[in-house]
Amino acid sequence: MEKTPKMQATNVHVYYGDNHAINKVSLDVFAEDVTALIGPSGCGKSTFLRCLNRMNDSIASARVEGKITLDQQDIYDPKIDVVQLRARVGMVFQKPNPFPKSIYDNIAYGPRIHGLARNGEEMDEMVITSLQKAGLWEEVKDRLEAPGTALSGGQQQRLCIARAIAVNPEVILMDEPCSALDPIATAKIEELIEDLRGRFAIVIVTHNMQQAARVSQKTAFFHLGEVIEYGDTADIFTNPEKEKTKDYITGRYG
Amino acid sequence: MSKNTAVHAPTVWGSEAMQNRISARYRKERRFRLLGLFAILLALSFLAILLFTLGAKSIGGFFQTKIELTIHFDRSLFPDLDGLNSDEASLALTRVDYAALIRQSLMDRFPDVRQRRDVRSLASLVSAGARQTLAGTVRQDPAVIGATQDIWFLASGDIDSFVKGKISRDVPESDRRVKDREVIWIDALDAAGKVKVGFNWGFFSSGDSREAELAGIWGAIVGSFLTLVVTLLFSFPIGLAAAVYLEEFAPQNKFTDLIEININNLAAVPSIVFGLLGLAVLLGFFNMPRSSPFVGGLTLGLMTLPTLIIAGRAAIKAVQPSIRDAAIGLGASPMQTVFHHVIPLAMPGILTGTIIGMARALGETAPLLMIGMVAFIVDVPESFSEAATVLPVQIFLWANSPERAFVDKTSAAIIVLLLFLILMNGLAVWLRNRFERQW
Amino acid sequence: MSVSASIFILILLAGAGFFFGRQRSLALVSGKLATLHSLPNQYGWYVGILMLLPGILVILLWIVFSGNIIDTMVIASLPDHAGPATEQARALLLNDIHNTAAGAPHSGSSEIYIQEAAQRYSRLKSQGVNIVSALVALFAVIGGLAGFRTIRPDLRARTHVERVILILLILSSVVAIFATLGIVLSLIVESARFFARVPLAEFFFGLQWSPQTALREDQVGSSGSFGAIPLFAGTLLISFIAMCVAVPLGLMSAIYMTQYSRKNVRKVVKPLLEILAGIPTVVYGFFAALTVAPFIRESGGLLGLDVASESALAAGLVMGIMIIPLMSSLSDDALTAVPEAMRDGSLALGATRSETIKQVLIPAALPGIVGAFLLSVSRAVGETMIVVMAAGLAANLTANPLEAVTTITAQIVALLTGDQEFDSAKTLSAFALGLALFGATLLLNMLALSIVRKYRESYE
Repeated sequence: MEKTPKMQATNVHVYYGDNHAINKVSLDVFAEDVTALIGPSGCGKSTFLRCLNRMNDSIASARVEGKITLDQQDIYDPKIDVVQLRARVGMVFQKPNPFPKSIYDNIAYGPRIHGLARNGEEMDEMVITSLQKAGLWEEVKDRLEAPGTALSGGQQQRLCIARAIAVNPEVILMDEPCSALDPIATAKIEELIEDLRGRFAIVIVTHNMQQAARVSQKTAFFHLGEVIEYGDTADIFTNPEKEKTKDYITGRYG
Repeated sequence: MSKNTAVHAPTVWGSEAMQNRISARYRKERRFRLLGLFAILLALSFLAILLFTLGAKSIGGFFQTKIELTIHFDRSLFPDLDGLNSDEASLALTRVDYAALIRQSLMDRFPDVRQRRDVRSLASLVSAGARQTLAGTVRQDPAVIGATQDIWFLASGDIDSFVKGKISRDVPESDRRVKDREVIWIDALDAAGKVKVGFNWGFFSSGDSREAELAGIWGAIVGSFLTLVVTLLFSFPIGLAAAVYLEEFAPQNKFTDLIEININNLAAVPSIVFGLLGLAVLLGFFNMPRSSPFVGGLTLGLMTLPTLIIAGRAAIKAVQPSIRDAAIGLGASPMQTVFHHVIPLAMPGILTGTIIGMARALGETAPLLMIGMVAFIVDVPESFSEAATVLPVQIFLWANSPERAFVDKTSAAIIVLLLFLILMNGLAVWLRNRFERQW
Repeated sequence: MSVSASIFILILLAGAGFFFGRQRSLALVSGKLATLHSLPNQYGWYVGILMLLPGILVILLWIVFSGNIIDTMVIASLPDHAGPATEQARALLLNDIHNTAAGAPHSGSSEIYIQEAAQRYSRLKSQGVNIVSALVALFAVIGGLAGFRTIRPDLRARTHVERVILILLILSSVVAIFATLGIVLSLIVESARFFARVPLAEFFFGLQWSPQTALREDQVGSSGSFGAIPLFAGTLLISFIAMCVAVPLGLMSAIYMTQYSRKNVRKVVKPLLEILAGIPTVVYGFFAALTVAPFIRESGGLLGLDVASESALAAGLVMGIMIIPLMSSLSDDALTAVPEAMRDGSLALGATRSETIKQVLIPAALPGIVGAFLLSVSRAVGETMIVVMAAGLAANLTANPLEAVTTITAQIVALLTGDQEFDSAKTLSAFALGLALFGATLLLNMLALSIVRKYRESYE
């Protein structure tokens, strides 16, 4: 059965000034999948990820060509409101970046600016469910007023995931979310991703192939700004079509 | 961890309430952005207003009204110079009542003025310096005695302001420094083509004076120069040496920390406190000469020292460590490495910091008031130990004068000071760009 | 013989020492450089330094102490009836003697003993300089000979020279400490003399400031009143007005430049703002007195308000303009120190830029901004020329910005310019004010610097 993709990128090019960073990338993201973007560093996977919620807008020299849709709607259409888009397509960054606020306020920040809660109770509930969904509730329920920066690295990253969830997004982009974490914290995040699958479309950039194999259903292999191969994770890792993919996966370079 | 089965209801972004909310947020965004732009434009417009006001006022200071009078060098008023040697002759000539010549000339032009008081105010149309002008003419060429000659004299300060339109005719006479009578006289002279406004060269060549039309800034410029020389000679070597020590040789210990904290704090001490230091220590304890460029320079030197040290350290720190490693590797001692390689490479940065520090010292007023450089000094200073004044203090002194003509002089002096500062800062920028190294 | 002449001769001698030292080292090894421990120039420096140092020391001692020593000798030689009874009389007398010796035309006293003392003063001075010059030359020769004779191929000349240079470097960096010590000691000593006459409590809590002292000491009510509260209040009022201008404008322009403006706009605007910081304060003072104060007075008049011609508002406004660039550049530093990730995190949640700035960046940069604020306050409190020229000297205790007030700095200038009396409470009170000013600004600076340092470290 043919599924409709949640997000669809068609012939996307990205330029930083004269530098051609992404070359003709086409990729479908499905709502119920975790999609992993892998590839050697500098291959453009993070750049591509940042196109999906227009985070490249803040870089003056960046220019995006091609078409990216969210539910068949072009997100680079001038009529599309970037604030709204980013609320629907959330993002988690490489290094945990909690705001210099309390744990509660970190989570409540998004709902507050978007006016998602009608009263304090609703806000409390949103904060609690977000923390529960991010698997952080048990650890922080007694210290919601503690600063977010006081948490450990892994907790901070789950706080950032909870923060993204609180805005009620449809897609969550994760840019190497575990690269700054130790193995135990990484395992927890991976567990969380598995937990969140199905409720959010998840796109995760990772340089760790085992991680991609563990958490994702679809995998795209990026190389020098192009998608070399895209397909079911199982196929990519067991039976890659392209020679380059095979070389990368078997550790010949990267 | 169990899967939370709560229904995942998507936010209804399309609802009217949500759309209104979003556009309200964008309005706020625009307002905030405009506020920022407004802040910058406001700050810049202050700058523009300041420069424009001073620039407009300064024009009057650079130009000067002159009045032409027909002087008859009445032989009866001069001594007999025959048989006198040149010294005796010039001494005799200084005793001549030149004021009488001027008075006579003016009375000839305005025959109906006879009252003593009126004659005095008539004579005050021209500057008190007119007598010196006449004395100079005679000294240069004694042959004029007995002859009649047309000579341009400086107008007095108030008349000068009046001619330039700075004192309005429409003001009631009681509030006007130039009275109706004087207005009539000056109009008559003007009608006869005897009044003109010309560039005021004297402003750049003479010292201070009580008479606005005679006052110049040369004395203050020389004073500033002498003071800055002392400042530079004091603060540059010490500042450089301290920067070198702290950046290259100082061990990591409490004492070094103390010096560093001390320097950082000293950099933010109000300048007037350095004036108190100069007054209590340099004048009070060491009995150094009051009001002198030497003491002024030392005071400003202490004030600029922290700036120089901080700039010097930054420049030295910017020198790549590989240069040091290379020199040490060739067997140079640490001292040789620093003096032969690091300092020359850091020199442009050090000089830039020095020039900026000197520019700050040049504009400084308050500490110099404390050590008595505020005295009224007519003579151009010739040494480091005699009483002098400096450009900003001269501005301060003139700014306190009530006469309208001094307002223009003050503005003109400010423009000159600003030009010096622009020149110095321009030099610093040029140095930085010219010698900026690409490693 | 003058001091500068002896310095000149000393340098010449040392130059000769350098040359001979160098020659000697070369001669010792007959040109085979490799057998020398150090380079020939270093032997030259070795001899030169040995000659210079003692001489420089003697000259410095002379400059520092000669004045006081000679004064004491002159006073001691005065006939008994002329000996000064009090500290104040001594200072006056010395002043007379110095003026007479300098040949000042208007030196008041024609007393015969003053004339004699003045002659004695001049004689002692020139004898002293001669002795110093002789000593300098003698030490130079001794040092030179000692250095010359000790030169051997294995003499570690470079080590010795470098040690001396290192000591000089250390001494230079200690000058800053001496400056601080000098400030602290002179302020404390003079203030102590002031507080010996005026009680501490009156100074710090008194509400009346009128430092006029009487002409004669026995005059009734001659002590004046030295309650500094009106001055502190005036300083705070003007600083407050200045901050009301500088903080919003400085902070907002920093925000605009770091978050909104394009790079090339920033490149132009930033130096333009720096010009505001480079304009001498005397220029601001003139501008305030000449343009701003009359403008405020007239506009106040239009509104039916009674504005003093030297209003706190005029001085405060102009001071605020002066401080904009300081506030702006320090806030700029604080904002740019906030990691990019923080901003991205907020934007990625769908926050607008202004929401990000107000709710994330400013809270994150708050310590830096507080530091900037404190340093700006410190600058405002210590600013002198603007208040001297535009705020006036009326020690009113008021919170009305349209009235005239005076400040600590303006009073210091008023007390110490013009005719000064030796040792009067009036003159000394300036140092007490200076001490209060120094203490306040030092506290602000230390606090600001430590906040800023901690803030920087937290993001490094």
